Amino acid sequence: MSSMSKKVKVIPCSGMGKVHGLVAREAALKVVSELCPADAETVCLAYIVTGDDEAKEKIEGAPCLTLDGCPKMCAAKNVELAGGIVKKGYRVVDIFKGHRGVKPGNATALTEEGWLLVDELADKVKENVLELGKEG
Amino acid sequence: MSDEVKIGVVSCSGEDCLGGTISRLATRKMLDEIRPDETVTICLPLFLAGGAEERGFAEAYPTLAVDGCDKLCAKRATEKYSGKVSDAFDVSSLIGKEAAESKPLSTRYLTEEHQEMVNKVAKEIRIRFENILSDYYKNAAQRIKESGNASNCGCGCTCGK
Repeated sequence: MSSMSKKVKVIPCSGMGKVHGLVAREAALKVVSELCPADAETVCLAYIVTGDDEAKEKIEGAPCLTLDGCPKMCAAKNVELAGGIVKKGYRVVDIFKGHRGVKPGNATALTEEGWLLVDELADKVKENVLELGKEG
Repeated sequence: MSDEVKIGVVSCSGEDCLGGTISRLATRKMLDEIRPDETVTICLPLFLAGGAEERGFAEAYPTLAVDGCDKLCAKRATEKYSGKVSDAFDVSSLIGKEAAESKPLSTRYLTEEHQEMVNKVAKEIRIRFENILSDYYKNAAQRIKESGNASNCGCGCTCGK
């Protein structure tokens, strides 16, 4: 019998090279830690990448929201490969498009503007988590 | 590989525990401050989502894996999809298992205590980085020496046989 939690899985790419990965990571942490801790949780993407059975078990068949920094969509692709159901794949680059000229910081630390982008993305993800919760 | 040797530092960046945040920040410190010109990194999930170039990372660069917990995802994933790492360690060996496996932390709430953990791990990365670099040069010198010997056929010529 599977011991998988019914919480929606929110999984960011946490990309190392650009600020986009940090925005994805921080937005996911905000959703699972502050905005909807009762309805959402995260799973280490690195653990999913290993292909371990235990990691697969955590997301196989589960509703997942992925947050990717760049168009390579590593989080979405890896979650799908592990059997997770990607209900929506967010792209940080799309959030940036609505804020031309913004200076968000870098892959190590965010500026105030960067944190505003995190908050915007986290709010969108939160809405989706709550909708998925209603679907049961 | 070019004359300018670069070392790959791959962190797990785990989202599920503090160790992942510390491994990520310490790796970023290598890239930003400590050895910016000699350190390269890769997003771990690119090994599966990317192409041949990404999967060739550990072949192209001597690589150090920095993991946030004893699951050793960075080390295992790198070796599964790319190649053998030169060295690896788990930050819980430095900051303690309890701290490493505690709740994940946003960089918005980093304290001085967390910053000390980052510095401690970055220092360890630097030490291991330098060992890898030193081994790389020793091996390169050995290869040159061996290739010099191989081309000496014993007759004093340079025929390479």
